[in-house]
Amino acid sequence: MQEELKQIETEALTELKTVEDLSELESLRIKYFGRKGLLSTVMRGMGKLSKAERPVIGKLANEVRTSLTEAFDGVEGTLNQQAREGQLAAEAVDITLPGRLPQLGKKHPVTQTFDRIQEIFRGMGFQIAEGPEVEHEYYNFDALNTPAEHPARDAHDTFYITDSLLLRTHTSPVQIRYMEKQKPPIRIIVPGRVYRCDSDASHTPMFHQVEGLLVAEQVTFSELKGVLYAFVQQMFGEGTRTRFRPHFFPFTEPSAEVDISCTTCHGEGCRLCSGTGWLEILGAGSVHPNVFRYVDYDPEQFTGFAFGMGVDRIATLKYGIPDLRLMFDNDMRFAQQF
Amino acid sequence: MNVSIKWLKEYVEFDLSPEALADRLLMLGMEIESIKQLGEGLDRVVVGRINTVEKHPKADKLVLCNVDVGSGTDAQIVCGAPNAREGLVAPVALIGAQLPNGLTIKRAKIRGEESSGMLCSQQELAISDEASGLMELPDDTQIGAPIVEALGLDDVVLELEITPNRPDCLSMIGVAREISVTTGNPLTLPDIDVQEETADIHNLTSVTIEDPELCPRYAARVIRGVKIAPSPVWLQRRLESIGVGTINNIVDITNYVLMEYGHPLHAFDYHRLAENRIVVRRAKSGETLKTIDAEERELTPDMLVIADAENPVALAGVMGGFDSEITDQTVDVLLESAYFHPPSIRKTSKALGMHTEASHRFERGADPEGVIPAINRAAQLIVKIAGGEICSGIIDVYPGERETPNITLRPERVNFVLGTEIADDDIRGILTRLGFAVSDAFEVTAPTFRPDVEQEIDLVEEIARVYGFDNIPTTLPRGDIPIPKVEPKEDLRERVKTYLLQCGMMEAMNYAFYHPDVFDRIRLPSTDPLRQAVQIANPLSVDQSIMRTTLLPSLLANAQRNRNHQINDVQFFECSKVFIPNGTDEYPNEPERVAGMITGSLGAGVYGDPFRPADFFDVKGIVEGMLDRCGLSDYTVTHTDHPAFHPGRRAEICIKDKTLCVFGEAHPEVLGNYDLPNKAYLFELDFERLVDVVEPLKQFEPIPIYPSVNRDLAIVLDTDIPASRPIEIIESTGGELVSSLHLFDVYTGEQVPEGKKSLAFAIEYRSTTETLTDEIVDRVHGGILERLEQELGATLRS
Repeated sequence: MQEELKQIETEALTELKTVEDLSELESLRIKYFGRKGLLSTVMRGMGKLSKAERPVIGKLANEVRTSLTEAFDGVEGTLNQQAREGQLAAEAVDITLPGRLPQLGKKHPVTQTFDRIQEIFRGMGFQIAEGPEVEHEYYNFDALNTPAEHPARDAHDTFYITDSLLLRTHTSPVQIRYMEKQKPPIRIIVPGRVYRCDSDASHTPMFHQVEGLLVAEQVTFSELKGVLYAFVQQMFGEGTRTRFRPHFFPFTEPSAEVDISCTTCHGEGCRLCSGTGWLEILGAGSVHPNVFRYVDYDPEQFTGFAFGMGVDRIATLKYGIPDLRLMFDNDMRFAQQF
Repeated sequence: MNVSIKWLKEYVEFDLSPEALADRLLMLGMEIESIKQLGEGLDRVVVGRINTVEKHPKADKLVLCNVDVGSGTDAQIVCGAPNAREGLVAPVALIGAQLPNGLTIKRAKIRGEESSGMLCSQQELAISDEASGLMELPDDTQIGAPIVEALGLDDVVLELEITPNRPDCLSMIGVAREISVTTGNPLTLPDIDVQEETADIHNLTSVTIEDPELCPRYAARVIRGVKIAPSPVWLQRRLESIGVGTINNIVDITNYVLMEYGHPLHAFDYHRLAENRIVVRRAKSGETLKTIDAEERELTPDMLVIADAENPVALAGVMGGFDSEITDQTVDVLLESAYFHPPSIRKTSKALGMHTEASHRFERGADPEGVIPAINRAAQLIVKIAGGEICSGIIDVYPGERETPNITLRPERVNFVLGTEIADDDIRGILTRLGFAVSDAFEVTAPTFRPDVEQEIDLVEEIARVYGFDNIPTTLPRGDIPIPKVEPKEDLRERVKTYLLQCGMMEAMNYAFYHPDVFDRIRLPSTDPLRQAVQIANPLSVDQSIMRTTLLPSLLANAQRNRNHQINDVQFFECSKVFIPNGTDEYPNEPERVAGMITGSLGAGVYGDPFRPADFFDVKGIVEGMLDRCGLSDYTVTHTDHPAFHPGRRAEICIKDKTLCVFGEAHPEVLGNYDLPNKAYLFELDFERLVDVVEPLKQFEPIPIYPSVNRDLAIVLDTDIPASRPIEIIESTGGELVSSLHLFDVYTGEQVPEGKKSLAFAIEYRSTTETLTDEIVDRVHGGILERLEQELGATLRS
């Protein structure tokens, strides 16, 4: 019986070496371990053994069973791994096939620019205010210290609806509307659409501005410089230089135009900045006392500053768009770029 | 305003490169449009004299000239100019010259004759447009001298943009004064020395001002016996260098003084004035005036004219009259120097569409005290250049003389407003250099050429400008920061936009204007209220003449534009105001709309995600999803009669019986009107209404803890029963136990009888309080089927 067991073990190990897949392994397992398998058959003969033989043979039988089980398990493990590897290999995809992109829309570059500007000024405590686009001459001009027949009106090619109603030429009228309703301290920005009758590569009859207004007791021109400096650093990147140049706007005094170092050449001079190294991006100044008088603020008690920038222009600078009119063509090939 | 650097140096010394000068002026508030080096391309052009002229043996229209170019031997030059003659002094481009027009001069044979150079016209030297013949130079010009020197072209011209508050800088002296302020070098004004003859002007003419408000000052001088001729070269060159054309010596002198002092003058032919006198008055109704540009102008009584005893002879401050202008026959000149009311000049020039050098300055405000220096300067130059004698005395009618007010300046206020610490002495120094009188107590008197300075803040600006904006510190605002509020509307707009972007739609941005024909293109009947649009009185073109009342045509036009570029798959949305009139002279309403359009195919169009045509249910889904984002579920979808849509494929969404949104498939005629080959699906939502009905922030609902039971239900029913009927029955019968319901198949065809359709629903049953048993679900599910059978005649699909 001892020999029988040994033989079974040897045969089983030999056969195991020829096993090629899991089903063959399973048949072999049944052949040896099954209820009618060879090992069971031998074990059933145990009863016929003497008391002395029984433990010896029993121990041997267990050893054979254990060693075979381990051998079978080992082969099974190997076969399993081979099968898995085979399956993974079969499942390989052509990674150069195109990915399926989610079909998402994109915000218009002007909106993206608006969003960024608003975020920066909100961070400095500015609140958003709005006003009508069809505006009264009073708010668009007169109350902004630009009476009828003032030559400064020439700079605004105005679309008129009636003699006194017009399409606002800037977002500045909202300054007046807001101050009429609110007492200082005021920190607002006014994003909005404005209109001028002009159309070429750098002018569209409708465009977008963001106006800013800060009024409180003891506001200085140096703080205007500070706020716009902080804006430029965040909008155009740290290290962008700013330059304040004297200018004229009827509703601010002193007035300034603000340039930034060219976003393309960083001041070296290039085609974008016409070789000057600077790009004009906004107009600003201390609120003119006459404007305060129009809204019944005491110009001795309150001072403030205002600024205004062309959003479309800033967007063209940021994205390198050569012609402002592209903004309003709504060509899918344009829209998908940003 | 163009300024010549050479000319400026007559009034102030400075040693700055043109670029450095431009930079200084820029930082004082004058933008530089251009910097132009005169005489470019004239390196090898010299002054020559034609010694002999012979016929060209082979060409009738050409001559052979021997030209002295100062080199010792004459150059033979073939020339075709009609004025080539012996003794003429003219510019010669030598071999190797590269002229401004790009022409390179080479040794050449012209019809067999040697030509070593070219005699030039003004146009060939880019001096003026004059091209009829050779440029004629004075006989005493030095032969062989570079033309750049001979003509004073060694100069640089800056084109400055002068802001409307600074009429004083519309002059050489004004700009020179700014240079003097920035360099600290003194300003030198011209010496004016007027030699008068004995005849008294008061015996020769008179000036009457009938409207002193519009004409506060009018001065006149008479110069007799002048000889009209072209101006000397230096004067012509001066004017041409800054872009002013030349006419004759008298007119050129008035223009010269205009540019020098910034004060417009006018010269009349004394004998062409009826009764030789001047009346300054408003035009009479029906009066006309032929101005010197030969245009007949119709005048109105709000226009100020200069008249003689009978008729208008000039449009005050704008342009002179044709019939009284200086001609070759003029002998005696009446010179005008005046100050006019700026708004009146502006009105007149605008009404007549005439913008002149004179009106540009008068409407900004000339210097009332500049009247006399300007007229004397011109008189002096006339006698010097055109001869004649100045009659004794000036007529100076000055009804509008006003005392210049004092402005009290508080130096501490200056520093407070600017955030600076500028010393009192520096403040005083800046103002003094600018020509202001400053008392010890800082009572400041502005010079009369600075009409822009009226109050303390104007002085602050002057100080800041000269002190230098760069020198003002950069600080951050102090004090309390107001707490910014976010309006609910802003928040909702952002939510809607974000959702539509996630739907794959691009954000469009369209002009707010339309052509009035868009209403026809979207089939609006003539009575449709949307046709009532705000009209622009002065549109750029009829294409942009009315304001939008609906966004749909813009989106259709966007699709059309893309279609024209072979792009057929277009998805756009736009959030924008429309303009609804409220009657004339009233503000229109400006409600916001959200509109969207999809046309062509949806899908990525890649392996595994093929294109599929968009349809009605895509646009409906987009709208429903948007409402879901706004927390809205209690709405009805009903048919609409909006004419832009396909009659069988259009709907509107109502909340509380008011329309919130229309959507559907564009009517085939509309598609045709926009040349769209594919169907287009559009929606337009009333954003203001959405703001009103939007639900507050959604509250948490517990996640279900009991399992669900899923059952499918496929029924066959008449095709004309809308899907909403069975859905309503399922929901109302199942009540709270129906936790979700999906219509996953709609079928008509061979598998179902004619006139019938099959609808297949996936119903999920779930209780919030217990695990549902099959018995409960069977009972509810059976109840649903029973009602579907009874109420809709539906049958269970086998």
